[in-house]
Amino acid sequence: MRHRPAAAVGLLALSASLLAACGGDDSGSEGGGGAAGGTLVFGASADPVSLDGAYTSDGESARVQRQIFETLVTTAPGGTEIEPLLATEYTPSDDGLAWTFTLRDGVQFHDGTPMDAAAVCFNFDRWYNFSGVQQSSSVSYYWQTVFSGYAQNEDPELPQSLYASCEAPDATTAVINLTSPSSSFLAGLALPAFSIASPKALEEFGADDVSGTGETPSFDGTFGTTDAVGTGPFRLESNEPGTSVVLVRNEDYWGEKARLERLIFQPIADGPARRQALEAGQIQGYDLVDPADLGALESGGFQLLERPAFNVGYLAFNTAKPPLDNPKVRQAVAHALNRQALVDAQYPPGSEVAKEFMPPELFGYAEDVPEYPYDVERAKQLLAESGVANPTIEFFYPTDVSRPYMPNPEANFQAFTSDLEAAGFTVTPRSAPWNPEYLDTVQSGGASMYLLGWTGDFGDPDNFVGTFFRTQQAAWGPLAPEIYSQLEAARTEGDLEARTAAYEEANRTIMEFLPGVPYVHTSPSLAFAPNVSGYEPSPVGLEEFASVSLG
Amino acid sequence: MSLSQVEAADTALEHPEEASAGLTRDAFRRLRRNPLAIVGASLITVFVLVALFAPLLAPYDPVASDLTDIRPGQFPGPSREHLLGLDEQGRDELSRLIYGARYSLLIGVVSTAMGATVGLLLGLLAGAFGGWVDSLVMRAMDVMLAVPGLLLAIGVAALLGRSITSIMIAVAVVNVPVFARLLRSSMLVQGRSDYVLSTRSLGVKRRKIVLGHVLPNSLAPVIVQATLVLATAIVEAAGLAYLGLGSEDPRIPEWGRMLAVTNAYLSSEPLLALWPGLAIVLSVLGFYLLGEALREALDPKLRR
Repeated sequence: MRHRPAAAVGLLALSASLLAACGGDDSGSEGGGGAAGGTLVFGASADPVSLDGAYTSDGESARVQRQIFETLVTTAPGGTEIEPLLATEYTPSDDGLAWTFTLRDGVQFHDGTPMDAAAVCFNFDRWYNFSGVQQSSSVSYYWQTVFSGYAQNEDPELPQSLYASCEAPDATTAVINLTSPSSSFLAGLALPAFSIASPKALEEFGADDVSGTGETPSFDGTFGTTDAVGTGPFRLESNEPGTSVVLVRNEDYWGEKARLERLIFQPIADGPARRQALEAGQIQGYDLVDPADLGALESGGFQLLERPAFNVGYLAFNTAKPPLDNPKVRQAVAHALNRQALVDAQYPPGSEVAKEFMPPELFGYAEDVPEYPYDVERAKQLLAESGVANPTIEFFYPTDVSRPYMPNPEANFQAFTSDLEAAGFTVTPRSAPWNPEYLDTVQSGGASMYLLGWTGDFGDPDNFVGTFFRTQQAAWGPLAPEIYSQLEAARTEGDLEARTAAYEEANRTIMEFLPGVPYVHTSPSLAFAPNVSGYEPSPVGLEEFASVSLG
Repeated sequence: MSLSQVEAADTALEHPEEASAGLTRDAFRRLRRNPLAIVGASLITVFVLVALFAPLLAPYDPVASDLTDIRPGQFPGPSREHLLGLDEQGRDELSRLIYGARYSLLIGVVSTAMGATVGLLLGLLAGAFGGWVDSLVMRAMDVMLAVPGLLLAIGVAALLGRSITSIMIAVAVVNVPVFARLLRSSMLVQGRSDYVLSTRSLGVKRRKIVLGHVLPNSLAPVIVQATLVLATAIVEAAGLAYLGLGSEDPRIPEWGRMLAVTNAYLSSEPLLALWPGLAIVLSVLGFYLLGEALREALDPKLRR
C-alpha cells in the first residue's frame, strides 16, 4: 500500500512532463510568441480549502482562486499599491460613505453570463447576508476583517457592519455604501476573498450550502470544489483533493490571454519532498523554500525568487507590567538586543532588521523614526538612569510553532535572553504551546514581554499598525494617547498623500513611545525550474500565473 | 559450594550480620574479576568526575549565545578552539556536553533516590505487615505498573509543568512500584527462611526481626535494581526533555534537549546529534554494565 501513492505521483509527473514537452513543441512549430503554451505544475503545500474565496483565508487557497477569479481592484505586480482590475475607476464621495466603481465593459464569466454591476452587487449582498456557520470568523475571516459585521449579526459581540448596501444604477456602475468613512477597505477588496463570481453559478452550484461548525465547516454544494466560475485568465478543469487542481487557459479572457495552456497545482505536504519533486522535474516551482535548502537549489541551477518582505517580527512589551512601564527600561531593552546578529543567524538571506512595526514596501513607512541601535553600554546606562534596581523581566516565548517572521521562537528567545543578561537584566523564562495557551495568555494581557509577529493580509498600514495600536489592547497595555488618535485619523483620511503623511507621523510617535522592539522583516523564497519565466512574487502573495511561460 | 561459602553459611546462622559482611566482601571480589564491571565503573567514574568538575573542565560558557559565526542551518564544525564545533546558538558544544553531565547525573541520582525511598517504604509496609496492608499497597502498585512507564512519566511531568524538578518527580514516580514490589518479594523470601524461623523461636520481637534481620538481608537485589534504574532514569529524563517537558529555559544544557534541537539541522549538521546521543549512551552503559555485574556477583544462582 505504501508504494501506491508514490506510483500515482510518478505517473502524474510523467504525464505532466509529457504535456510540457508537447506544449514546447507546439510553440516551436508555430514560431509565434516563443514560449506560449505548455503545462506548468506548481507544488502546493496543501489542497485549497475551497475555491470560493469568501470561505478561505489561507495562502494555498488564495493562490488558486487568484487565477480563476478576479476582484474589483488588485495590487500592482510585485507591490502593494492598488490598481484597477474589474473596476477601471473608483472614487469615494465627499463624505467617504459611498464608493463608485466603474466596471470594465464587456467582461464575461466563464459560463458566458455578463460581469456587470448587478453581478457585483449580488456578490456583495451574498457576503453581507451570510448566516449561521458562514458568520464564523474562521469561515468568512476576511469579510469580518474588512467589513466587521453582517446584515444580521448572530454573535452579539460582532460590531456593526461597515458595509451598508450596493446599488447598480447602470450596467457598468456599482456604488458601495458604507456605514462610516474608511480608506482601508479599498485595499481589502484586492483580496481573493472578494472575488466576483458568476451569480448564476453561485446559485446553481449551492455556494451557500454550508453546514458543520465554525472549526470544521462542511461545504455541501459543488461551488468551490468541482465548480468555480469567475472571470480570470484560467478556467477550472478539475479539482481532485490530494491529487491536483487542473486549470486551463480561458480563451475568451477580456485582457491579455494566459501564455500557459494548463496550470496544475499539486499538493505535496512535506517540505523536503517538494524540493525533491522540483529536482526530479515533477514540478516546476514551489513556495516557501527552507532557508537551509537555498544553497543546494542555487548550485543545482534552479531559479530562486524572493518575495518582498510583508511581515514583521517583534518583541512586545506589556506597558501595564513593571518595570516595562518605565520608558528608560524599554529603551534599555531595545539597545541591549543584537537584532542584526539574530537576523543573520536565523533568517533567510534578504531578510532585514526592522526599525518600525510595518514593512518598508508599504506607504506610510517612515525612514526617520527613532532608532535604538545595539549598544550594551547605552543599555546599562539607561538602566541605571531608570532607577530600577535588579530589573527582572518575565520573557514569554511560544513552543510548537514556526512562522515566516519567527522560524524558531526558541532560538530567538535564547539569543535575546543572552543579550539582555549581558546588559544586566534578569530574565525569567516562560513558555507555552502556541495555540491556544500562548496566544490566549498574550491577548489577555498575562505576558509582560513576549515574542510575536504579523504577516500582512492586504496592502494597507491599518492592517499593521492599526491592528496593533489603534485601540487599547490588553496585550500591549496603555500606550501614549496620541498613538490611538493619530492612527484613527489616518484610517479615515481619504487623500492618499495625507494618509501617507499621517501614518509616517504615527510611526514616529510609536517608535518614540516604544511599545515593543520590531526586529525583522523576512523575505520568503520561491524556487522555479530554469525554464520558467514571467513570475513576479507579490508581497501579499497575490501572484498571477497568466504572465508565466516556459522557455 | 566452596569451603569458604560453607563457612559463611555456617556463621550466618549464628551471626547474620558478619555473614552479610562476608558476602559483600565476596561479591566485591567477584566484581573486580569481571571486566564488564571494570568498564562500567570506569565510565561512571569519568561521568561523575566530569559532572563534579564541569566549571573547571568546560572551556567556554555553556549558556550565553554568540551568533557571530552562525548562519541559517550552518554552524562552524570542529576546530582547534572548539573541539566539537558550535551549536545553533554559537555555543561551544563540548562545554555544553560537560555541563550536561551535571544535569543527567543530578536527575538520575535524585529521581532514583526519590523513587527508591518511597518504593522501599511501601515495600517495607507491605512486606512487614502482610494481610490487608500488603493487598492494598500491592494493588496500588499494580495499577501504576499497568500504565506504560514513559506514558506515566509524561502524564506526571505535564501535570507538574515544565521544570527539571517535575522531570525528576515524574521519573521517580515511575520507579516507585518497581522498588516496592522488589523489596516486598525479597522480604517474603527472607521471612520464610530458616534463620528467621530460628530467631522467632528464640522469642525475638517481630519489629527487631523485620528491621534487624529481614530488611538488611533483602537489600541486595534493591541495590542492583537501583543501579539499573539509574541508567533508565537518565534515558527517561532525556526522553522527557526531548519531548519538550524539560525546563522552560531552553538554554540549560540538558542532553535530551540538546538532542531534540538537532532534529532541525540533521541534514546539514549531523555531528551535533551524535555528541549528546553518545553521551547519553555511554553514561547509561556505565550504570547498566555495573548493575548487571553487581547482579551476577550477588546472585548465588549465577555463581560459577
